[in-house]
Amino acid sequence: MVEGGRETNRTGSVMTVTVKSFATFREVMEMQIVLPFPEGATVRTLLADLTSRFDRLDEQLFAAPGTLRDFVNILKNGRNIDFLAGLETSLEDGDVIALFPPLAGG
Amino acid sequence: MLQVTGKNERYRRQVDLVGADGQAALGRARVVIAGAGGLGSAIALYSAAAGIGQIRIIDCDTVEVSNLNRQILYRTGDIGTEKVTAAAKDLRALNPGIEIEPVQTRITAETAESLVEGADLVLDALDNYPARYALAHAAWDRGIPYFHGAVHGMYGQASTIIPGQSPCLRCIVPSPPASGATPILGVTTGVIGSIQATEAIKYLTNRGTLLLGRVLFWDGTRTEVEILSIQGDPVCPVCGGVS
Ligand SMILES: [Zn+2]
Repeated sequence: MVEGGRETNRTGSVMTVTVKSFATFREVMEMQIVLPFPEGATVRTLLADLTSRFDRLDEQLFAAPGTLRDFVNILKNGRNIDFLAGLETSLEDGDVIALFPPLAGG
Repeated sequence: MLQVTGKNERYRRQVDLVGADGQAALGRARVVIAGAGGLGSAIALYSAAAGIGQIRIIDCDTVEVSNLNRQILYRTGDIGTEKVTAAAKDLRALNPGIEIEPVQTRITAETAESLVEGADLVLDALDNYPARYALAHAAWDRGIPYFHGAVHGMYGQASTIIPGQSPCLRCIVPSPPASGATPILGVTTGVIGSIQATEAIKYLTNRGTLLLGRVLFWDGTRTEVEILSIQGDPVCPVCGGVS
């Protein structure tokens, strides 16, 4: 947990976002992490933060700088960012962001 | 002489749960199991054992030795046989009181429509998304429930899709991975196939709560389950983002 995250939020300057990972993404990052972000942060900001924390995450998420791999699914509170504003989807205090690579095998 | 057709005795241990009406509903049910691999094995065996009356099982492959770590419908002696032929033989041996319809074909946008025709529900035991999308779309258009499952390694996912009551498959998985052989531990297909069969039996017997608008993620490496609610694309041309 982020110390003082909620306190600071009362001033409107910091928000906390919970990130959850699934399936093979759990092999390169924490399965759940709570992070602080300044107001105005986007999913792009969040991914930059995550890749700076977890060395092997960048190659899992990005085909090229700024371009997500095809199979990366990102949900903001249950809605895929493809249906929102993609990487520019804004973050809000209390958001839950889920990252998952869909499984294909049968 | 062994009593193989005594329905009351065969289903005695589950009728207390599903009721005589539920058991009758299972017996009347016509289901499609799309794929006779790892997921399809678990789904088909439990569906047949539970007394689902008509099972159409679809696959285009023959049994290979490398299937046998997970595809528990088959025995070593089945290697080289059409999967659906071997599957039908195994399922009829398990439960002679039900009808098995083996269909040896590939599921494509062209074949999907006729394959789901007349089905009460479709169980997704496929291994690639082009076939899944084709089948799910054909089912959706006819108002047929679709029970999704997929696996990789020790991870699995499952979700239940009912037109008008949940988002469509494309809304749940808009960005699929490429097809190709993936590592799979047999037990993972057992876990997910069993969850899909559980959902189908609940639907047919009108009991419990379904995985509608929710995706179950199974993590066998941690032995953990997490369920995420998923909302569709508000402007999805198929489902309109129902959630
Ligand atoms: Zn949709």
